[in-house]
Amino acid sequence: MKKEIPLAIVFVAGVFMAVQFFVPHAGSEWIYEFVMEWTIIIGIFALALGIWSLLRVSTTKIKRKMENWPYAVVLLAGLVSMIIFGMGFMGGVESYMFRHFFNHVMIPLHATMFSLLAFFIASAAFRAFKARSALATVLLISALVLMLRFNPYLGPVGDLDADLASWILNVPNLAAKRAIIIGIGLGMVATALKVILGIERSYMGSD
Amino acid sequence: MRKGPIIITAAVALFFVISWIIKSGGAPEGSSSYDAIAEGFWLTFAAFLTLAILSFLYKDNPFYKFAEHLYVGVSAAYWMSLGFWTTLVANLFPRISMTLSEWFQVEFISYQYHFWVPPILGVLLLMRLSPKGGWLSRWALAFIVGTTAGLNLPRFLRSDFIEQISSTMLPILVNWQGFGDFFTNFSLSASGQFVSIVSNFLVVLGVLCGIIYFFFSKEHKGAFGAASRFGIWVLMVTFGASFGYTVMGRISLLVGRLTFLLDDWLGIISG
Amino acid sequence: MKIKIIALMAMLLLLASVGWGQEEAAIDSTVQEVIPPGPPLNLKAFDKPYDNGHAIDLTWDLSVDDGAGRNNIIEYRLMRADSPEGPFVERKKLEMGKTEAEDKGVKEPDDPNYFPREHDFYYKVVAVTADAEAESEVVGPVRGIGQWYNAGKNPVAVAVVLFTVFTIYFIFKAKKGAELYIRPLAGIDAVDEAIGRATEMGKPILYVLGLGTAADIATIASFTILSRVAQKVAEYQTSLIVPCYDPIVMTIAQETVKASYYSAGRPDAYNQDSVFFVTNQQFAYVGGVNGIMLRDRPATNFYLGKFYAESLIMAETGAVAGSIQIAGTDEVTQIPFFVVACDYTLIGEELYAASAYLGREPVLLGTLKAQDYAKALVIICCIIGFIAASFGWTWFVEQFHVGN
Repeated sequence: MKKEIPLAIVFVAGVFMAVQFFVPHAGSEWIYEFVMEWTIIIGIFALALGIWSLLRVSTTKIKRKMENWPYAVVLLAGLVSMIIFGMGFMGGVESYMFRHFFNHVMIPLHATMFSLLAFFIASAAFRAFKARSALATVLLISALVLMLRFNPYLGPVGDLDADLASWILNVPNLAAKRAIIIGIGLGMVATALKVILGIERSYMGSD
Repeated sequence: MRKGPIIITAAVALFFVISWIIKSGGAPEGSSSYDAIAEGFWLTFAAFLTLAILSFLYKDNPFYKFAEHLYVGVSAAYWMSLGFWTTLVANLFPRISMTLSEWFQVEFISYQYHFWVPPILGVLLLMRLSPKGGWLSRWALAFIVGTTAGLNLPRFLRSDFIEQISSTMLPILVNWQGFGDFFTNFSLSASGQFVSIVSNFLVVLGVLCGIIYFFFSKEHKGAFGAASRFGIWVLMVTFGASFGYTVMGRISLLVGRLTFLLDDWLGIISG
Repeated sequence: MKIKIIALMAMLLLLASVGWGQEEAAIDSTVQEVIPPGPPLNLKAFDKPYDNGHAIDLTWDLSVDDGAGRNNIIEYRLMRADSPEGPFVERKKLEMGKTEAEDKGVKEPDDPNYFPREHDFYYKVVAVTADAEAESEVVGPVRGIGQWYNAGKNPVAVAVVLFTVFTIYFIFKAKKGAELYIRPLAGIDAVDEAIGRATEMGKPILYVLGLGTAADIATIASFTILSRVAQKVAEYQTSLIVPCYDPIVMTIAQETVKASYYSAGRPDAYNQDSVFFVTNQQFAYVGGVNGIMLRDRPATNFYLGKFYAESLIMAETGAVAGSIQIAGTDEVTQIPFFVVACDYTLIGEELYAASAYLGREPVLLGTLKAQDYAKALVIICCIIGFIAASFGWTWFVEQFHVGN
């Protein structure tokens, strides 16, 4: 029973949503929209589970005085204060502290983490340079052509580079992306089918 | 504790205080002294967090650890709070309970009983926290996984399969007016007929060889193997192109952050 | 003096009356010059096929003055009423030269653009010039009716049926014991070696499911790989770290890992805290995962699932930390970064095939075979379509066009 009912739910929900794609009737559209809204609402309940997990892992770290435990205190302080500011009925997400935490903590941290990509992409390019295989060389040459074409400082280095870059984007790039996407489409459909038919059920747990 | 970390921490604290004092003095006219001090603090704190994250490039250090843990805690709670107000309060309560709508001061819409389904599934999901009722959470998971699978099955078959095949059915003889016209107007320019014909042919060839590369149940030997090898070469050209195309965009992100530090915080350059 | 004033007033009155007369004469002459355009002809209104029932399609023939005749049509106006007598309400304006229109609304009754289903409507189209209008005949009643099957999606339906038949056929064949060959995949072959290395080094294995939610098939595929990896981890008695971005993904991952430990016969070794939530903010999550890589120093990092811009930050940090890295995603734009920074990369479909490779169960291998047959069919269709398109045989190519 513990496994049969969930598998039946998966099958019914899966078949229903697959069939819904072919039914243009307004009733079918309503159901689709409801299901989408339901999923978002369930996600919020699940977020509570996430927060619980975060609290549990952090408090365990503190209790056991595990390595780097003081930082778990920082994490909990940020978490609890933001929950109090955001949900503590002191103006909620419009409160002064909530907005300032967002603007002066989250935004700079987000932007800086994102900007780290500039360094990582440089080190990744260096790594590609070091690779001696023929395929890595092809990758590198193609990358160089595109980098020269789209660099904002020099502009396209000659007409040949501009032509070559646009040819790479329009021919091999298009072909390869299409081949990958067709494969992905098939892989996704196969996985979805395995899930609906109950062939793939590892996510259902053990007992 | 060793001296080095203490000195560094003290230096950072000193810089923080100096920056706070200086930035508190630079508040716009008309703002109260309290506002000025607060704004000075927030701006300095933002700069401190920016530098703390950048310090990771040197190596993992206490400042990075502080910023990272604060970021995780604050962002998790941020999404929780936002989800609570925008989804539960604004979307769910006005459809299931007049009392809750009044309590949260949102306009009650109407009773829509099917909206009880997600909170019930949500509560089932929370049953994971109970030692005995954990298995009930699978009902909610089954609903999500099942709908996802069903939803994606035909949709991806359409967008990632049929529509891609349809787009690959290209005519090889672009603007074909006969051999005479082809040879008299022969050109190697990028927009010329010859290049268009070769390009269309290569697109189709590239797609087919790319697909051959993804064959799992046939040995990649002989002609099949050659086609598969051509396929992986085409894939590598694409990966290189994608890589090169992204590099410049990423550099502009770094420039943005440096502008914040040098202009907004230090005021060295003018925006 | 009085006489002068009276004479002056009389003259003014005379002049004014002449002026008015001229104005009237001018208006009269304009009216005489206005010739209405030819009306739109042959108006037809019918229920929009394969829709939700909240739209009507209309077609008509151009006014004789549109593109020909006096060639002075500026636009057409589509008018709708509840009865043939009106009142008619303008629904939309259309450029000159148009001969068809769609009157579409929404299904929500409280929306200003609500279009009632199964309600009788009457339509007319007005041809408009700079100074005159001409109306078509009124047509109706016509009503929007929702359909229960969209025949425009027939190609998808055929593909779903074909693929399902392929899959079920090969599963049965595999169950009967038919040998199914699968070619080696370097990324998969490395999994055992990577777990073995972690065991030897006494270091944990990091498994990142990416930024996908449970609504992404790539994440579901990743669960199945996680289950195989966790089973091996349990057998080898290594530790596993699974930081999650999405709480539902975390919940499913906990179930998956727990099940794997049970099936490996080591339920006691399962630690619920090994699968935990970090945050569902992209770069905060990256920060957290980077921290784990640098402090716990996992011997092997798996990145399998849905990844976006964060892919490179994580993969580079892992490379710097010296871990063996196996990645796989269906995000085409992120594959290059994994290719460059990781030791092994599962490209696109290989991610979906990985669970079958790792499990080696006949049922799962059967689905791989079905996928290959579908690909063979794609190649045949592409070649025929390529030839058909080159020779202008549009019928074959059109069979692959999917309606909305």
